[in-house]
Amino acid sequence: MAALEELWTEFTGLFSNILFAVSLFAVWGLLTLIGVIVDQGKDPSFYVDNYAPALARLVLRLDLNNIYHSTAYVGIIGLILTSLAVCTFKRVIPARLPPLRAVKIERIPLNATVHVHGEESDVRARVESFFRDRGWSVRKRELGGVEWTFADRHNWARRGVLVAHVGFVIIAAGTTLYWWKGFSGQTVVLSGQTVSVARSGAALHLDHFGYQFEPIHTKTGIVYQPIDYVSNLHVAGRDGVFSAQTLRVNAPIDIDDTLYYQDSYGFAAALAVTKDGHPLAGAPTGPLEEGDGFALGETQRSIQYARFVGTIVHEPSGDLGIGADPRPNNPGVVLTIFDGDDVLGSVLVPLGKTLDLGDGYTITPRSFTPFSVIEYRHDPGIPLVGIGAFVLLAGLCISFYLLPARLYVRIEGAGRAWDVGIAATTVKGYDIFEEQFADIVDGLTRTVNPPKRPLDLAPVVV
Amino acid sequence: MNTDQSFIVVAISAYIMSTLAFLIYLLSRERWAKLVGIPFAILGCVVQFVELGYRYETSHIWPLTNLYGSLSLFSAMSVAIFIAFAFKYDFWFIGGFVEALAAGFLAYGLTWDEGYLPAVPALQSYWIKIHVPLVVSSYAAFLVAFATALLFLIKYYGERWLARSGTVRSLRAAAATGPSLSSVTVATAALGDQPVVRGYRESEIIEAAAARGDRFALWLATLPSLAKLDIMTYRIIAIGLPLITVGIITGAWWAKEAWGAYWQWDPKETAALFSWIVYASYMHLHTRNAWRGVRCAWLSAFGFLTIIFCYLGVNIWISGLHSYKM
Repeated sequence: MAALEELWTEFTGLFSNILFAVSLFAVWGLLTLIGVIVDQGKDPSFYVDNYAPALARLVLRLDLNNIYHSTAYVGIIGLILTSLAVCTFKRVIPARLPPLRAVKIERIPLNATVHVHGEESDVRARVESFFRDRGWSVRKRELGGVEWTFADRHNWARRGVLVAHVGFVIIAAGTTLYWWKGFSGQTVVLSGQTVSVARSGAALHLDHFGYQFEPIHTKTGIVYQPIDYVSNLHVAGRDGVFSAQTLRVNAPIDIDDTLYYQDSYGFAAALAVTKDGHPLAGAPTGPLEEGDGFALGETQRSIQYARFVGTIVHEPSGDLGIGADPRPNNPGVVLTIFDGDDVLGSVLVPLGKTLDLGDGYTITPRSFTPFSVIEYRHDPGIPLVGIGAFVLLAGLCISFYLLPARLYVRIEGAGRAWDVGIAATTVKGYDIFEEQFADIVDGLTRTVNPPKRPLDLAPVVV
Repeated sequence: MNTDQSFIVVAISAYIMSTLAFLIYLLSRERWAKLVGIPFAILGCVVQFVELGYRYETSHIWPLTNLYGSLSLFSAMSVAIFIAFAFKYDFWFIGGFVEALAAGFLAYGLTWDEGYLPAVPALQSYWIKIHVPLVVSSYAAFLVAFATALLFLIKYYGERWLARSGTVRSLRAAAATGPSLSSVTVATAALGDQPVVRGYRESEIIEAAAARGDRFALWLATLPSLAKLDIMTYRIIAIGLPLITVGIITGAWWAKEAWGAYWQWDPKETAALFSWIVYASYMHLHTRNAWRGVRCAWLSAFGFLTIIFCYLGVNIWISGLHSYKM
């Protein structure tokens, strides 16, 4: 039992240590930076093709290509949250107002002595009223036969760090609620097609997908700037009643507490594949999306619809080229031909033109259909995340912009000559309070020793 | 040259003039230099904001949808934050650094100016008027903090060099038998908390070397104390960190509205997170006596490098959801 207690003490001691927390931050930062520099979520062949061999091996072996979902990354965030929790309970919550106790004023770096003349009770009253008038909370204590005055300001702001930590916890609760009760996904809808989203029970019918590009003349040439992507839909919720909706980027639609977002778009291509002049059995009959492929009959070869080209241009050399205008003015498709796993080549084929693949095989892109990629997400944690973000910011502002400070005041002397000794401590050291302390001392000096009133001299008549 | 370009020429010229004036002020403490630098700094800043407003008024396109626009706001905000801090704390020493960086970033931004381009669909949101100014303002605050940290490091290593010279030791010994080098007045405050450089307190080094007539020491003596420079850096980062936090939160909220997820692990998001981690570490370490001062100054300087990487490096070299160069 004693060993367990000792272990617990060591654990809480380590995890509540700020330097340990900052060390965890450093590791977290390093892993995050690796994720920024190393391309994430690509196919292993991408790293082999684009990185130096040794680096590619390192990336793949250490899981650096998916670092944000790696054990190391999740683990370090777990350690940081643990540290935050331990620190909150061990350091932040117990950090109450320091007890009212006598101090050696001269030993505190921010200290001063103000000489005052007058009756003791009057001097004490003037000092007390000076601090009260300036918004300080004043308390008095008799300690060791000496009367001490303690003035505190912004003490509640000592809780700023706690508020910020609570903000993190609320955000974490909100995101956990999403993992627990929420769901998300993506669906592709071709123009004229209806899809159902099983998890939300919604149905989406894409009437039309529209896009707008504007050719803009810039210093470096014409830029085809995308201006608008819009899905004109008929949607139905669980009640099955369809209604017209317009979906745009930045303007999601809400169906039964699930939000639908305009994600991206593309052009599906319908390809006519023949063998010796007859349609090839097993070839796709419907439109293909970019990246889709199929096997070419009995051969080892396969064809992939790599990408849609809006505007095919004729190069001065006579070859076909890909124009900058993405709008389908003179459309075509890029087909990639594989022999087993080996790429034989890519060919740009205009719409309606036939590509001879040899051995009696031909392929003809016949038509294209715009499609819309729609993202959906049901997230019951949104209000909690919003509240958490607000609380976090409030905590940061309290911690950074308010300075909890205490003044220790001791009045000593005899007769009508008194020394008011003042010292100040803050939660952020002494330097940050230096100018304010000088102001306080200056103000106190002037207030408790008011300048003598000038004599009322009668006008001299000559 | 059109009206737009004329504004930029005026702004860059004003920044160059104010850079020179503030550098003279930093080196000589001539008051006239400060009085020349201030109006030029204000002029450049005002002209830049007018230029951004003019751009918006004439094109009806929000000017912060491309790298030129955001760099322009970045330099204007850097100068604005510097002016605000300098007026509040009489802190014009760093003007030369801030104005030079502002002029440099504005000139660099011009190389990305492709004229008036309408916003792409992802940027057509009211969030662009909230998120981008917040994030750019946080970058600007970190630039000013970088300038104060730079001045701290110059002073710190200058004093180290003086302490190494050995003259201090002999003067200190002489002072022990003669009159005191410093007269302690009411609230000399941080004397007990003063940074210690190679075993000597800051004031001892400066006073001893200055008494010797060392010109470098005399110049160092005109600068604010290391403790003040450290506090100033802290104060500015205390502006920048909440701003970047709000910037990340508003960005996450915008992403939620545009793409359905708060966080996409986009390079820009994660680079901003990295910078946030660095400055959050700074704030944690600044609570420790042992870390205040030179270590925190280096961390502030490093933090600004991460900001530049996040701002320009990711926008220009790494493709992602935030690749809005033009």
